[in-house]
Amino acid sequence: MKFDISYTIDALPRLLEGALVTLQVTLLGFVLSLTLATALTVMREVTHSRWAHGLLAVYISFIRGTPLLVQIFLIYYVSPVIGLDIGPYTAGILAITLNSAAFVVEILRGGLASVPIGQFEAARALGLKGPALWGRVILPHTFIASVPPLMTEFTQVLNASALMSPITIVELMRVSQQIFSRNYHPVEVLTGTFILYFLMCFAVSRSAALIEARLERRRA
Amino acid sequence: MSLDFSIFIDYGPRILLGFWLTIKIVVLAIALGLPLGALLALARRSRFRLLSWAALAFIELFRNTPFIIQVFLLYYVLPFYGLRLPAEQVGVLALAAFGSAYFAEVIRGGIDAVPAGQLDSARAIGMSDLQAMRHIVLPQSLAIILPPLTNQMLSLIKESAILSTITVQEMTMTAIRVQGETFRPFEAFIMIAALYWLLNEVVAIAMRALERRWTTRPAKGGA
Repeated sequence: MKFDISYTIDALPRLLEGALVTLQVTLLGFVLSLTLATALTVMREVTHSRWAHGLLAVYISFIRGTPLLVQIFLIYYVSPVIGLDIGPYTAGILAITLNSAAFVVEILRGGLASVPIGQFEAARALGLKGPALWGRVILPHTFIASVPPLMTEFTQVLNASALMSPITIVELMRVSQQIFSRNYHPVEVLTGTFILYFLMCFAVSRSAALIEARLERRRA
Repeated sequence: MSLDFSIFIDYGPRILLGFWLTIKIVVLAIALGLPLGALLALARRSRFRLLSWAALAFIELFRNTPFIIQVFLLYYVLPFYGLRLPAEQVGVLALAAFGSAYFAEVIRGGIDAVPAGQLDSARAIGMSDLQAMRHIVLPQSLAIILPPLTNQMLSLIKESAILSTITVQEMTMTAIRVQGETFRPFEAFIMIAALYWLLNEVVAIAMRALERRWTTRPAKGGA
């Protein structure tokens, strides 16, 4: 057989629509994950409850120790059994959020460790505490220190979003499966998909490198 | 919802069979992917532009795309060019190729961390490039390479679940079948989640023990 690029070109408009959905779920999943991970990071610092720390450790270990696909299946298939009618889209976003947050918590822990203790002391000396201390002083420092690994995590979420295709979410991967199951030209269609994923991911990695360089310069 | 423990007993053996295939696939993929990764790392450092560019392109393509698309592409590309392989073998190849791109970066990082003077000195006393790598640079790189290498191996265990999408009968595929037959998704998936978790912890602990043994070795000679 010969590679017929016209099938790739014909598929392109629909693939681009799929890519848009991929970007949407990635962005949504990443923002939710960042929010959850930030809350968990502050909780880890503020609370001294053994239970809370133990639970967080088990959660992180479970997420990092099991495949994301299995986590997605667990949430997707089990939620209706326990009476939660959330549908594939919510289940997928929820799984990706819970998965990514476990990694982001570890990233933010590193970022937080780089905030000098003097920042805490100075802020407290000015009378800041609670939400003001964290929201205005500590967290901004933590986020800026965490930008490079957070960008990498964003590409991880982008790649992870392709695993929502088995639970029927029509993102880029699913769209390409739909197209080649009709035209029987999987190689041409999947090559287009492959290139689109690469372009999205590569764009993020490159801009990550640029932002990192800019942050370095500002610090210098 | 109440747990149906009979599922664990009735379907446990089938799940374990899938678990065994998962282990075999991952071991084969590491056995293939590690040398390929080392070759890519060396090619990346090669003076021949074409070679280093090809290695870079391979590494970047595999690191910047989801594993599931790589698996699908390989699954359809091979027969497209007349090579018909069973899904399991395609799975091993895909996992090995994916792994090698990450292994290459880890190995390259380890090699770069060894001061250039070491390689130059080895060359100066008459060793070939390969000898210098084998006897001088690699032993020193190992301490730097092992921790991230462990992480990549753990990631291969987890990525192998994706091979269920091309009908490889590994553990995740088995669980999908079991839940289809029993309509007990929680029991099916929690069972395999526990096994993946266990495998992950066992490998992590074993590799950490190995790290300690290899890195506490007294350094021979000065740096």
